[in-house]
Amino acid sequence: MVGKQGRVTGRIGPGLVGEVMVEVRGGVEAFYAHSTIPDEVISTGSIVVVVEYFPPRTVYVARALV
Amino acid sequence: MPTEPYLVAGVVLAALVILILLFKAVWRVAEPNEALIISGLGARGRTELTDSLGFKIITGKGTSVLPGFQTARRLRLDSRAANLQVSCVTQQGIPVVVRGVVIYKVGDDLHSIANAARRFLDQQDSMNGAIHELFTGHLRSIIGNLTVEDLILNRERLTGETRASAADEMIKLGLIVDSLQIQEIDDETGYITNLGKPHAARIAASARIAEAQRDQEATEAEQVAAANKAAAWRDAQIKQAAYQAEIDEAQARSRQAGPLSEASARQEVVVQETRAAELEAALAEQRLQAQVRKPADARAYETVTLSQAERDARIAQAEAEARETELRAVAQASQVKQAAAAEAESVRLRGLAAAEATKATGLGEAEAAKARGLAAAEAAKAQGLAEAEAARAKGLAEADAIRARSEALAENQEAVIAQQLAENWPRIVEAGARAFGNVDHMVVLNGAQGIEEMLAKALTLGGTGLGLARSLLNGAAPASGGGPEANGKAVDPAP
Repeated sequence: MVGKQGRVTGRIGPGLVGEVMVEVRGGVEAFYAHSTIPDEVISTGSIVVVVEYFPPRTVYVARALV
Repeated sequence: MPTEPYLVAGVVLAALVILILLFKAVWRVAEPNEALIISGLGARGRTELTDSLGFKIITGKGTSVLPGFQTARRLRLDSRAANLQVSCVTQQGIPVVVRGVVIYKVGDDLHSIANAARRFLDQQDSMNGAIHELFTGHLRSIIGNLTVEDLILNRERLTGETRASAADEMIKLGLIVDSLQIQEIDDETGYITNLGKPHAARIAASARIAEAQRDQEATEAEQVAAANKAAAWRDAQIKQAAYQAEIDEAQARSRQAGPLSEASARQEVVVQETRAAELEAALAEQRLQAQVRKPADARAYETVTLSQAERDARIAQAEAEARETELRAVAQASQVKQAAAAEAESVRLRGLAAAEATKATGLGEAEAAKARGLAAAEAAKAQGLAEAEAARAKGLAEADAIRARSEALAENQEAVIAQQLAENWPRIVEAGARAFGNVDHMVVLNGAQGIEEMLAKALTLGGTGLGLARSLLNGAAPASGGGPEANGKAVDPAP
């Protein structure tokens, strides 16, 4: 999981539970996403990298350096 | 006939069938949409699940299950749908009844499957009830954080709130929410209906405005078209009437052509006749001019000329008569004057002869001289008077011959009077001389002229008496016998 890139489908921000779509197990699944940097806001459509994975469905992400 | 091979074949077949049945009894395969939960002897999970509760999860492949030692249960990983109906209030406190559906499934990872398996493995059919209860509460809190407008319009907000509210609990249950859809919102207060009303009213207003405008434009166009039609109809009627009038006029003219030409011909005849009559009248006039007027003019001229000649002759006759009368008066005056002078001289001579010799001689000479002067003066005076009277008579004779004649006759009376006066002159002179009679010595400074002046004064005094006497005589015109009396009276005041 960690290191994979994903696409933000729900806004990530303080007080919000974001959503990212990540390719995993041959399919694409939605994970609850939070930002590794506090108070960072990542809008829908951004590309992110999974930094931490908390099973079963929570990831911490950072902006991908595209 | 050997039966061995058939037996062997039958045994082998039976053994194979038994083997297959046995295999089928032992081997279990997990379908793509399900997970096999195997528990029992030797059921160990993977290395990372060493601390698990002791069951094995198989997805997407087959595995052997030892009958009697192990048990395999299937957990369906399909999507499930739970219908929700919630009575709640929005953020603005508006009560609404929301009907929705939540689509969820068991998570695909082993952790989720394990969580779900532990919770729902025997209650897979009642999973919907639990989810319904769960999401009813969540939906109530979600809608409590939203306004009606957000609920309708802001889909991202709804999903975000759903995640934020239900994520942890769904993780606990090993489920994931694929979708939460609001199907219907019942609004008892009519908020949503009213929400749309301004826009609907605006749209309705604009629709009505547009309809009215189009209607107005259409009506205007129709009216313009109708007006144009009416104008065209009017023009057509006017033109028709004009053409009809021309037709009528032409017809009338053609109908009247015969009588008209006849009338014009007759008119020319009348004109010619009139001209002939005029010429005849002119001829008659000329004839009258020649036959009547010219002779009449001649006669009139003759009459006028004769009358003028007669008038001139009559005037000349009157003038001649006046002149004759005048001359006659002058002659009579001079005659009277000479007679008077002669008588006066004879009287004086008789007086002087009777007077003293010396004195009488001188006085007689003086008186003779005086008497001569007086006689000359009187003669001149009488002549003047006669001339005046003659001039008067002449004027009167010019005005009217007959009156002049009567006037001349009156002047004759005057002349008679004058004659009578002349007859009395000796006494007058005597009276005048009486004034000088009392004078012893009379020194005359101017000589003969002085004596004349003196006599003239004395006679002027007498002259006034003469005028008075004439007026008295006029008062008694026919009484010629009164003349001497008047003379006597006239003389009296003279000294």
